[in-house]
Amino acid sequence: MPDETLDPGEISPEHGQRGDASGGISRRSLVRAAGLGSGLLVGAPLISACGGLKGNQKSTSKKITIGFVTPLTGALAGFAASDNYVVDTIRGSASYSKGIKIGSQTYDVEVVVADSQSSENRASQVARQLITKNKADMILVTSTPEVTNPVASVCEQQHVPCVSTVVPWESWYFGRGAKPGDSFKYTTMFFFGVAEFGECFIPMWDRVHNDKTVAGMFPNDADGNAFRKGWPPLMKPAGYQMVDGGAYPDGTTDYTSMINKFKSKQCDIYVNAPLPPDFNVFWKQAAQQGFRPKLATVAKVLLFPADVVALGDLVLNIATDAWWTPTMPYQSSLTGQSAKDLGAAFTQKTGKQWVQALGSSYSLFEVAYNAFKGASDPHDHDEVAAQLRSMKYDGMSGTLDFTAGPVPGVAIVKPAGVQWKKGTGKFPFDLVVVDNSANKNAPVAGDLVPTNS
Amino acid sequence: MIWVNAVIQGLLLGGLFALFACGLSLLFGVLGIINLAHGDLAVLGAYVAVALLPSVHTNVLWALLFVPPLFAVFGYVSQRTVMGRSMRSGPLTTLLVTFGLSVVIQNALLEGFSADSHSFTLGALTTRSLHPASDISLSWLRMGILVVAVLVLVVVQLFLSRTGIGRQIRALADDDEAAAITGVNTRHVAAIAAAVAFATVALAGLAFGTYAQFSPTSGSNLLIFAFEAVIIGGLGSLWGTLAGGCVLGLAQTIGAQIDPTFGVLAGHLVFLAVLAVRPNGLMPATVEA
Repeated sequence: MPDETLDPGEISPEHGQRGDASGGISRRSLVRAAGLGSGLLVGAPLISACGGLKGNQKSTSKKITIGFVTPLTGALAGFAASDNYVVDTIRGSASYSKGIKIGSQTYDVEVVVADSQSSENRASQVARQLITKNKADMILVTSTPEVTNPVASVCEQQHVPCVSTVVPWESWYFGRGAKPGDSFKYTTMFFFGVAEFGECFIPMWDRVHNDKTVAGMFPNDADGNAFRKGWPPLMKPAGYQMVDGGAYPDGTTDYTSMINKFKSKQCDIYVNAPLPPDFNVFWKQAAQQGFRPKLATVAKVLLFPADVVALGDLVLNIATDAWWTPTMPYQSSLTGQSAKDLGAAFTQKTGKQWVQALGSSYSLFEVAYNAFKGASDPHDHDEVAAQLRSMKYDGMSGTLDFTAGPVPGVAIVKPAGVQWKKGTGKFPFDLVVVDNSANKNAPVAGDLVPTNS
Repeated sequence: MIWVNAVIQGLLLGGLFALFACGLSLLFGVLGIINLAHGDLAVLGAYVAVALLPSVHTNVLWALLFVPPLFAVFGYVSQRTVMGRSMRSGPLTTLLVTFGLSVVIQNALLEGFSADSHSFTLGALTTRSLHPASDISLSWLRMGILVVAVLVLVVVQLFLSRTGIGRQIRALADDDEAAAITGVNTRHVAAIAAAVAFATVALAGLAFGTYAQFSPTSGSNLLIFAFEAVIIGGLGSLWGTLAGGCVLGLAQTIGAQIDPTFGVLAGHLVFLAVLAVRPNGLMPATVEA
């Protein structure tokens, strides 16, 4: 298990101890050493327990360590289904296996995977361990604010470069207490936000004849509240009005009152941001109780094939967003492998259907590679972080421009409108691009069909 | 009419809670075991069906033929081995053992089945319902679960009150030492009770798997509703468990009708109110006729 990879015993000797004077001390570590005094001799666990101490003494080792935090187990594990495969692929790529050459020096790269167990506490705990025990030079983190935010917060505090993905930028930015105008120094991310959901979904609504009333199912949690606030101003210019089903708690087992409300207001369109198991219960009850919106555009659920198969034929023609599909004309900046080949190789290796997280997780490692490559010293966290903030490149997720986002350090990925259709090949359902208003790179492969006619 | 529908859906939801709580109530009432692995056992039952049914599209009713019997055997064996042994070391040990069991089941399921979620199908019945009036819908699936819950509780109650082994189980629940003195093979009888409880847990797991979707970690959320149903109804009373489930279901749907934010909370509040006013529950009794 990943825990074992975090064992302090694994720290290789060439890392040296904290404050090891023999290796040429930088100004920063000298200052810090003076401040810490004899505390440096205390073991790593105690230091991490102190929290406020910076655990990023500049290393002189010939190895670059990248931590990768992902929810391999627990409620969010669906997001991480392809992550082990991505890590294996990355470790096997020439860019990583042969080391990164910076100047005259070639650095070996070690990728340490840590499981957040879908828990916020665990996520920040493993981030601290990666920093203090493994001396991570950068931490990559993926899948929902519950994982990315605690890790990014630890990294910002400890001055360790960090890249996040698969988290709406509003949740990542405002969720960590930033106010408009603020910028983070060590943490960046790429994904999209509420505005992109609008760009992606509203053109699809317009293509279905409807009475412009939108049912909104948003739970009382970080994402749900962000969407409840974010949607009405987005849809108003297009002439749509939202009916809020109410801030229900996650894990609700009966949605009768919400369904009654949607039915009585005759909502033709349906949007949401629930937890996947809750959507399963809701959608079955909606069918039982006769709520049949003409078009359902869902967020946060039905992203991955497992949830889709669990709902069976009820998913047909439900629309959602896709931040990556194998049909997008992208290719790896590390190996030149195309998106199509990455999807196919994943299916061949694991026997599972491609998932969107393949592209985003892969790109995390592209970003990391580019940042180290561009720095003169991979262990200089300030320099690497500056590389992250100013990065712009083309890769597995298309063009990622961290300088042009809505706030500093955020690169926007434009999603495509997709619908679940009956599978034509090996798998029971296929995710088909039906609308590319938001991302013209995604070739349209099927017709937009009303969810219920 | 909307309120009538809320009441009806609450009663139907209560069926699921009651079915869930039955095994918990039985294990506690007879053996005094607070089974923290209850929710995970139900999920395990659902996964047994996932493993043994030929495909996800197979009607889940087939699983009724083999999952509950398998679980009865599982229950008998675990009572004779792990749980029975832990009971002799005191109630705290049993609590810890069931907690450990819960962790083991969750992680074993994660290893064996990955974190992918699953759900069962009843074919068209999953979504079909009767509409006796415009705003009222009676889902076949939810009615079916309520009927199964009532049937299970009636059968278990009859088993306990009318059969010889049932009488021995009740004797054991009242005073195990006295029962042993009068010649009851207490270990065997306790294991039979556990077998019955496990079989109902498996049924509950199948019902839940059709009602919603499940993944290896779904069990813990279910445990709290089952506990509340048992405590609202009265510890160890099977009829009380049915009543407790229905009260909890009603509280949730009526609460949600007032305000969706209030649904689950209303259930918890009713539970707290019962604890404060009638700590023995609505129908306090040990398991008896």
